[in-house]
Amino acid sequence: MTRNLCVIALAALTLAGVAAASTAGTPGVTSTTITLGSSGPLTGEAAAAAGVLRGADGYFKYVNARGGVNGRKIDFKYLDDGYDPSRTVQNVRELIQQDNVFALFSVVGTNGNLAIRDFANASGVPTVFSAAGATTLGRDYVKYPWTIGYLPPYGEEGELYGKHILATNGKKAKVAVLYQSDDYGKDVLAGFRRGLGAKARTLIVQTVGYDPTASDVQSQVAQLKASGANTFCIFAFGKFAIQAFQYANKLGWKPQIYVNDVASASSIMQLGPRSTAEGSISIAWGKDPATPQFKSDPGVLLAAKIIKKYIPGGNPSDGFLAAGMAEGFSMVDALKAAGKNLTRKSLMNAVTHMNEANNPFLVPGVKVHTTPTFRFPISSVQLQRWHNGHWVLFGGVQSAKP
Amino acid sequence: MRVKLSAFALGALVLVVLPFVLTDFRTVQLATVGAYFIAILGLDVLTGHSGQISLGHGAFMAVGAYTTAILMANHGVRDLWTIPIAAGVAGVIGLLAGVPALRLSGLYLALATFGIAVVLPTILKKFDHFTGGSTGITLFGKPTQTGHGVGVWGLTNNQWLYALTWTVGGVVFLIAWWLLDSRFGRSLRAIRDSELAAVASGVNRAKYKVLAFGVSAAFAGVAGALLAINVAYVAPDTFPIQLSLYLLVGAVVGFFGSIWGAVFGALLIQFLPDIVGLIPHVDTKQAGPTTLFFGLVLVVLMLVLPIVLRAASKLANRSYFGAQ
Repeated sequence: MTRNLCVIALAALTLAGVAAASTAGTPGVTSTTITLGSSGPLTGEAAAAAGVLRGADGYFKYVNARGGVNGRKIDFKYLDDGYDPSRTVQNVRELIQQDNVFALFSVVGTNGNLAIRDFANASGVPTVFSAAGATTLGRDYVKYPWTIGYLPPYGEEGELYGKHILATNGKKAKVAVLYQSDDYGKDVLAGFRRGLGAKARTLIVQTVGYDPTASDVQSQVAQLKASGANTFCIFAFGKFAIQAFQYANKLGWKPQIYVNDVASASSIMQLGPRSTAEGSISIAWGKDPATPQFKSDPGVLLAAKIIKKYIPGGNPSDGFLAAGMAEGFSMVDALKAAGKNLTRKSLMNAVTHMNEANNPFLVPGVKVHTTPTFRFPISSVQLQRWHNGHWVLFGGVQSAKP
Repeated sequence: MRVKLSAFALGALVLVVLPFVLTDFRTVQLATVGAYFIAILGLDVLTGHSGQISLGHGAFMAVGAYTTAILMANHGVRDLWTIPIAAGVAGVIGLLAGVPALRLSGLYLALATFGIAVVLPTILKKFDHFTGGSTGITLFGKPTQTGHGVGVWGLTNNQWLYALTWTVGGVVFLIAWWLLDSRFGRSLRAIRDSELAAVASGVNRAKYKVLAFGVSAAFAGVAGALLAINVAYVAPDTFPIQLSLYLLVGAVVGFFGSIWGAVFGALLIQFLPDIVGLIPHVDTKQAGPTTLFFGLVLVVLMLVLPIVLRAASKLANRSYFGAQ
């Protein structure tokens, strides 16, 4: 009997300890700091994408060391969600209710962003420059006024690949598509069909989806090869894209490959043997540091400097880090434009009036441009072809406007 | 009995006072603790009292959570009323799982239930027109959500979630207490200690073992429903295999066989990741230190608990015989 009392007393003590541990949160904006929050897959299958957060963080530290934004230093707090959207929801709740962040910046992943946007909008917290390309993030601003994405919309990306096939091999192409069966993969695939237009029905011989938590895509690739296709679209993420390249190679299948932007970092493409990815086509909007034509580019050199100084263990040729810096640069621009008297409203006003042509981390000619009714910050891209172990950009900058 | 009742009253009092001294965010974290508490109670009935191990209780939580989410999002059922329905659906599935479990025991039962937990997220993704696939189901802002925005009885949304979870938690606790103190509980313990002796004394082994599975799963279903209501979002990856393992660790921490300890297990599941983050040089953003620490806690407890308990019983004996 006394044991039960002890148990209850212990419970009370533990709970009291929890109570003592909770302190009043810092306000999002003080005279010296701006607190931004984010969530992304720091661990798990999609961990490579967290480079975006580390890159942005490095860029903020670089800016802070040079006096910050309008006299305030940026405090960037990002939490791990392992690419599980329900953890993104809990992280965002913690960031908003406990840490009182000023805004959410660069939350990674389409599913995570879709899961949090009702809550973030109801709380009136800006959710800006999300590291996701779902078309809905830029399109549905009437319902979600506090949300804006960053990446080129996935649908437009798919459309560009479709148009490229029509222009180069419209008669003989037989297309097989591997896609991630969630909103992101279906978004790219729908755009791809749009790009092929009336010919989509005849040109696409097979599409196979895979689940983002599956262990591999070997059987899917074998199935696609058996369809007799000569063109292979990899609308897949991280390790699945790597597997798709490798299995196709192993099976002796040599199609023309199109690979989506989120899996096109040089670090993913550098597969052995070298012929595995040769000739693949993708899009580029940020400068991939491993691309030789940017070797002595001031933006890439700056990125390398920042990685060396502020991102311990960071690989200077990691495209995700550079992409994060591009986002960080736009964020700093927006915070500057939002003025000394920084409010959530003034930030939203700034991010919907972007006109940034000098982002050193973006491919020359790609501008960050938004208006209150056009919320796709990056809506121009350039095609690139994988040749001899690196990307070669071609064809000039094209529009990816929805 | 009087001591137990006063302990219950004291616990309830602490729970009532807490939201007034805690921040809004800690309050909602404790609401999640309440959901884990209920799931651990369920596991305690099954494993602690009937001796059947389950490594798949996360799956029963998922069944409850999805029942709530689908009813709320697609059928306009108010969140409160989905809780008993979730308990029913998970309970029936638990009964069904209990039937083959009759033929399995020990390691084999552990593996079979583990299998359920591994397979369920994949099933949820397969039927995506029904479950929302890996995108999940958002409940936030749905008209069927109670206490959102306007607030109930002047409570903030988080305080409301806390009040709801712990009220249900209290009711479930009383049910568990009553069940385990009755013929049902005695039969379960008899089966756990010796099936042969229990059967010889006229206990219907099959009936009680299957019932234990059903009751336990129904508790987990309630926990899942409350978790869905708390987070206002469900996805297949909310219920990974780790959750089932954490629940088992939580039940061990809560002294198997005593429903009074379940609250410690629940606190551990919620706050161990935060505590691990406080240890210097441990970066919770790298690899999986949290999972490692759950394992460590389990191993240490398994090693230390018998020693502590033996020492405690020796002490108790000595004072008992000394008093004679």
